[in-house]
Amino acid sequence: MFQPLRIEHLSVAYGNARVLHDVSMEIPPRRITCLLGANGAGKTTLIRAVVGLTPPREGSITFDGIEISKLPPHRTAALGIACIPEGRRIFPKMSVQENLLMGAYLERSKSKVRASLEKVYNLFPRLAERREQAAGTMSGGEQAMVSIGRGLMHEPRLMIVDEPSLGLSPALVNDNFRIIRAVLEAGTAVFLVEQNVRQTLAVSSYGYVLAQGRVTACGTADELKNDPQVQKAYFG
Amino acid sequence: MELFLQFCINGLMLGMMYALVAVGFTLFFGVLDVIVFSHGDTVMLASFTGLGMYRLLEFFHPGLGAGWVVFWVLAAAVAVVAVLGMLTARFIIMPLRGAPALNTLLATMMFGTALREAVRLFFPDGSNPKPFPRLLPDWSAQFGTLNLRFDNLVLFLTGALIIVLVHLLITRTKLGMAVRASAQDAEAAQLMGVNFRLIVLVTFALGSAAAAFAGVMNGLYYNEINFNLGLMLGAIGFSAAVIGGLGNIYGAICGGFIFAFLQTAGVAAMPFASAYKDVFAFGVVIVMMALRPTGLIAEQSSRRV
Repeated sequence: MFQPLRIEHLSVAYGNARVLHDVSMEIPPRRITCLLGANGAGKTTLIRAVVGLTPPREGSITFDGIEISKLPPHRTAALGIACIPEGRRIFPKMSVQENLLMGAYLERSKSKVRASLEKVYNLFPRLAERREQAAGTMSGGEQAMVSIGRGLMHEPRLMIVDEPSLGLSPALVNDNFRIIRAVLEAGTAVFLVEQNVRQTLAVSSYGYVLAQGRVTACGTADELKNDPQVQKAYFG
Repeated sequence: MELFLQFCINGLMLGMMYALVAVGFTLFFGVLDVIVFSHGDTVMLASFTGLGMYRLLEFFHPGLGAGWVVFWVLAAAVAVVAVLGMLTARFIIMPLRGAPALNTLLATMMFGTALREAVRLFFPDGSNPKPFPRLLPDWSAQFGTLNLRFDNLVLFLTGALIIVLVHLLITRTKLGMAVRASAQDAEAAQLMGVNFRLIVLVTFALGSAAAAFAGVMNGLYYNEINFNLGLMLGAIGFSAAVIGGLGNIYGAICGGFIFAFLQTAGVAAMPFASAYKDVFAFGVVIVMMALRPTGLIAEQSSRRV
């Protein structure tokens, strides 16, 4: 077991435009923690800061007791932080199988890579059928499977999932949530960023609400469901 | 018929040289979206490094076997130019990543000029053409009027081998997979654990090493080198990469051979105007770009769906 991801007093800015102000959160293992917020609230920026793509201006981010706020992305990946990024970000000209293998880029043991590949193909039989196809030529739902499968290839300790259901059919969204729940069984911490509030709160145990770069509410999923602010904003 | 074959052989030799240069342009563009205008001068530096190494060997090891001389000349050219490529990436191109592409273009262009001037001023008698030693045995076979030179065959096969090796490295190894992933989506590749800076350095070492072969090949083929040979080879390599489709390795290779074909076809079709072969070839390139702006194999248009 490892210590949670701790974000403390985080501030991020692009040039002079401050996007996140004094954000603090904790994402513990074996739980799904969700991050809710409207477009432009700073959710993706927060994710980028955690994985190392956008270095924060102030504050600290620690994972398993290690300060990661100044580490480049390949170092945070090496610590076991996997990310299913917003917009899927698959490698369009690579085959499905190569995309999945990229997910296990840091895994040295060939037998483990083979086992992970087997696991992902069992989870998504569709990908097994299409393993040689260039990922960019697949449908949106299939690309989402590639992106999620790729994130599962390295047995991450923290899985960050940024808007996995964006633009997907309800059936596929259900599939995604089923898989995200399955990930937990391995003891992984899941940090879920989603627009689909009802379904997200149904699977999460704790959540944060971000608005204009600040945490405006936090609590257990039940507390958030009954929070007047959340109700007003999302359940209308 | 023999004349036709002779043209073919010349075309293939030139095409190989151009392809080796174009592969660098296309690799750099693929990974960093930049055009490295000093790349042609890198080729020139490889020629001069080879010549310098030859002179050192001649001075310190006069009796060294021919095979070893070739080996050391090539090794020196590849090593110096690969390191130079990495330094260019690290200190000129990476710091300008956030800046407009125009800045990188200018910076590399100026760096190329600096390289050219440095060779002209610091290489002994560098402003005049230098004879390049014949390092390979001058055996040849005569078929009627067709002259098949052994050294050309060696150069061609070596060039082909380099291209095949680069291709295998890019398509079959984990390192190559990381290079391709970085070219398609650098951030996503980093999230998978790819050290992007390292991949950039490897790519520049690789592209520059291919250019080093082109440089030594150029010396061995023409038996003369010149401090400004990189200007022409750079322009040709860049054109070849563009008509093939920037970012695509096969495209660059095809582009190199197409350009060489245009040059030799220009000479063959108009022997009275052979001095205009480059005018003809570049003119056709302009037309090709107008007809197919993405190049033969479009890489960019399908990049982000």
